[in-house]
Amino acid sequence: VTVGLTEMTKIEVVVGGADVTGVTEALATCGATGYTVLSAVSGLGHHGVHQGRLHFNDRDTLRMVLCVVPDERVDAVVKVLRSLLEGRPGVLFVSSVKVSRPDYFT
Amino acid sequence: MTPEERRALLRVEVAQAARLIAPLWPIERFIAVNPLQGLVEEGFEHALGQARRWLGVRGVPTRADLRRALHRGAVGIADLRAVLAEELPLAPSPPGGPSPIELTAVDLALDDLVHGHDSMSPPPPRTVLEWADRQAGTTRSDEVAGEVARWCSILLERHRAPVRLGIEGLDNYQAWRVLAPHDRRLRRLGGRRASALLSSLPERADDTVDWALEQLGVGAADRLGELRGQLARLPGWAGWAKWCDEWAPRAERWPRLSMLELLAISLTCDGLAHGRLRADGLVARSGHDGSVRQPCASAPRARTRAGAALARLGVPRPDSSTIDWAAAVLSDLDDDRVGRLILAAFERAYRTRLVAAVDETTFSAPGPSASMPAAQVVFCIDVRSEGLRRHLEAIGPYETLGFAGFFAVPINLRPLGASETIPAAPALLVPEVEVRERPAPGSEHAARSWVARQREVLAVGEVFDGLSHGPATMYALAEGAGWVLGPIALARTCWPGPTGRIPSLPATRLDVDVAFSLEERVLVAETALRSMGLTCGFAPLVVLCGHGSTTTANPHAAALDCGACGGNPGGPNARAAAAILNDPGVREELRSRGIDIPRRTWFVAALHDTTTDEVRVLDGDEVPAAARPALARLADDLAEAGRGNAARRLSHLPSTRRGRSPARQVRRRSADWAETRPEWGLARNAAFVVAPRRLTRGADLDSRVFLHSYDADADVGGEVLETILTAPMVVAHWINAQYYFSTVDPEVFGAGDKTLHNPVAGVGVLLGADGDLRVGLPRQSVFGTDGAHHEPVRLLTVIEAPRGRIDAVIERNPVLRQLFDGEWVQLIAHDGPGGPWSIRRPGGEWRPLHEDVETCATTRTAILPMSFDPELEVLM
Repeated sequence: VTVGLTEMTKIEVVVGGADVTGVTEALATCGATGYTVLSAVSGLGHHGVHQGRLHFNDRDTLRMVLCVVPDERVDAVVKVLRSLLEGRPGVLFVSSVKVSRPDYFT
Repeated sequence: MTPEERRALLRVEVAQAARLIAPLWPIERFIAVNPLQGLVEEGFEHALGQARRWLGVRGVPTRADLRRALHRGAVGIADLRAVLAEELPLAPSPPGGPSPIELTAVDLALDDLVHGHDSMSPPPPRTVLEWADRQAGTTRSDEVAGEVARWCSILLERHRAPVRLGIEGLDNYQAWRVLAPHDRRLRRLGGRRASALLSSLPERADDTVDWALEQLGVGAADRLGELRGQLARLPGWAGWAKWCDEWAPRAERWPRLSMLELLAISLTCDGLAHGRLRADGLVARSGHDGSVRQPCASAPRARTRAGAALARLGVPRPDSSTIDWAAAVLSDLDDDRVGRLILAAFERAYRTRLVAAVDETTFSAPGPSASMPAAQVVFCIDVRSEGLRRHLEAIGPYETLGFAGFFAVPINLRPLGASETIPAAPALLVPEVEVRERPAPGSEHAARSWVARQREVLAVGEVFDGLSHGPATMYALAEGAGWVLGPIALARTCWPGPTGRIPSLPATRLDVDVAFSLEERVLVAETALRSMGLTCGFAPLVVLCGHGSTTTANPHAAALDCGACGGNPGGPNARAAAAILNDPGVREELRSRGIDIPRRTWFVAALHDTTTDEVRVLDGDEVPAAARPALARLADDLAEAGRGNAARRLSHLPSTRRGRSPARQVRRRSADWAETRPEWGLARNAAFVVAPRRLTRGADLDSRVFLHSYDADADVGGEVLETILTAPMVVAHWINAQYYFSTVDPEVFGAGDKTLHNPVAGVGVLLGADGDLRVGLPRQSVFGTDGAHHEPVRLLTVIEAPRGRIDAVIERNPVLRQLFDGEWVQLIAHDGPGGPWSIRRPGGEWRPLHEDVETCATTRTAILPMSFDPELEVLM
């Protein structure tokens, strides 16, 4: 066990640019205190290859939204995100993480 | 479930329901958009199904449209036959027997398409209140829609209220919650309980939505439908809320409205009306009531249609087996399918003509000139550039190119003296860099005077505006100023023209060297040049020609400006790009990247006014002396080309005067505040060509084609093609879809008659004094005095590139798979000059494009009746 670190849950969502607002709104409504959005996300997924960056189109590329929440908020966040992603292209990862400044996330 | 969780889930439901609605940009930054943008991933056919169910639209051309097109020669019987033969391969054969009839399923279907009657079934109720209305025979839902729309206008206009209402600083829902209990119309709508109910609403909009859904008895399974129905009832205000929620930058100045606020007000009002219906004993219970019978569709039955068609085709007394056969063929052709077949015929007709025009050019045009052009002029891909390019090329040794009119420089522009910025970029991009317009060296004093004068004019306007809205002053203003303003208005009406001397802007510069780092400027320059295929063979002058428009008293003026510049004129972007490309530091870096711009080459910005066809050179004072004679010659030639193009455009515009100079006429239209068709904008747009100009040079494409330069040999990896298809083509598709739906469903997707437009809150227009915010294009933008001027076809993309490369680009971009596989955009391609054309089918299969160009549009009268049909009598 690393001294001084606190267990929390990391949520990673990869969605199309048009769905990012929905994800960040859902996170904020569920009490997440912040999030990080990464653009130019590329890869191979259920719907085929996804190009990371397009020169003149920010809307039709994938983004990754990263968020860390205390364990007690995980169920609510996951429930809402699963509902949001139903029938939409995107993936959701939930994993344990340790943070050094837990007050940032509560 | 915690309140937070419940609210978050509601937001998800609202976002899902809102996919039905397209964002509506502020009218002064009008962005053409596919009204079914949120449903694009479902494909054209399924999206239309949703739009029919919820918005009550048709979504495809009608038989009446077909008859008009046949009459004009825009589509031919051969096109219809070809489409039917392809679509009805498995139709049953006619009965045999002793006297077999000499007809095929195609003959029968063709007759039904051309001579049959259009019908449209009303969509089923969408909301609890609409179900109740159906049951009670009332129209409360329409009344509620009127009240909600009125409240939206009030809430967004409240900052201009002449008196303090005690709602300053409150959001829309909170403000409504304060004011609504005092609204007599709402109290009338809801009856005795209304006042108490409106006074006890939850504090938050989202909680009110949940509460109202419960009051209306909407079960979990029906919530999404109810929310969709609510938004579909007011697609204009919902579109504004969608823009505010999902697209608007936070600092925008327009009054906001959120989907949750709109739904809270809308559902509460529905609850009031429904409660009143229950109290009056007109309906028994809440919730969706599937037991109410749908009215029967008014479409004639297949056997009736079959009998009529057989009679018209010379089989007056068919036996029962013939009737059975004909009814079986026609029963497959419901109105939706008929509409899609007509659309396919329109598209085939246009495709055939375009390919023929391009092929004719390929085989007859002289080879490329080996000599250096006097200038290269880069125009926006906008369809209106095509005419000017064609005329300019015919006049002198000029090479023209097509590129998105923001010239790869997305900026937030802060004009001289302005306090806020303008996003000058395609809607798909969020510009991050602020570029300021500053006085040119030596013009500082003139610039200060100019800014002071502008502020004075602005202040006078604000005072006038304030007086005209004040309760005490508005009548006094009319009394006091009317004797001056009346004659001025009369004079402007009778003698339209410029209304006063506006002092010209002093020489200015855009501070691109401050706003962008050298590295960023180099990246912009390289991207622009590679994307437009201009990396060698630079002429001494390279003109980057943006475009804008000049119209008077036209709330939709921005719809005529450059879509690639966010509904703004493209001059600033052209100036920024020219400044970057003239930068010696940038050129040095470009040289190391393989792009050697000669020292003698100068980039010049210009602006094409699409209403008057005048081209103005920008920052001309910066042009080196050596380049000025060539620029002067080019300016003269552009003026001549503009006159030629104006004459051509006038031939399509109504109310033109013979004998008058075309240049004078288009200037008059531009300045006439009573002119509802100053220009046709992008009406009749139909195709997007991605190829070298060689492919289309010399062909008269009638200003219907977006032309994007592309050299496949210089783009082996397909990166440039990818950029062109994922951005300019997407914008072209939005424009095309906007014009398409404004034409086929003007009641829902069009902005109505311009003469009735009433601007509201700076965000859009109403039709008259109240009602929903209008979306789409005004009627006069797509309809002429004798029917539709715009020809509704889905965008046809034409690419000159190897098919393998096109497939690879489509494969790695879901947005392209959605557009092509979903049949929003058609795609044809060939490998190179003279090569055979192929058409890409949904799923990716390429088929040879075998089309007989000779038979197109030549047999239009062969099957048209000469009597009895009242609709046709008008046409004949």
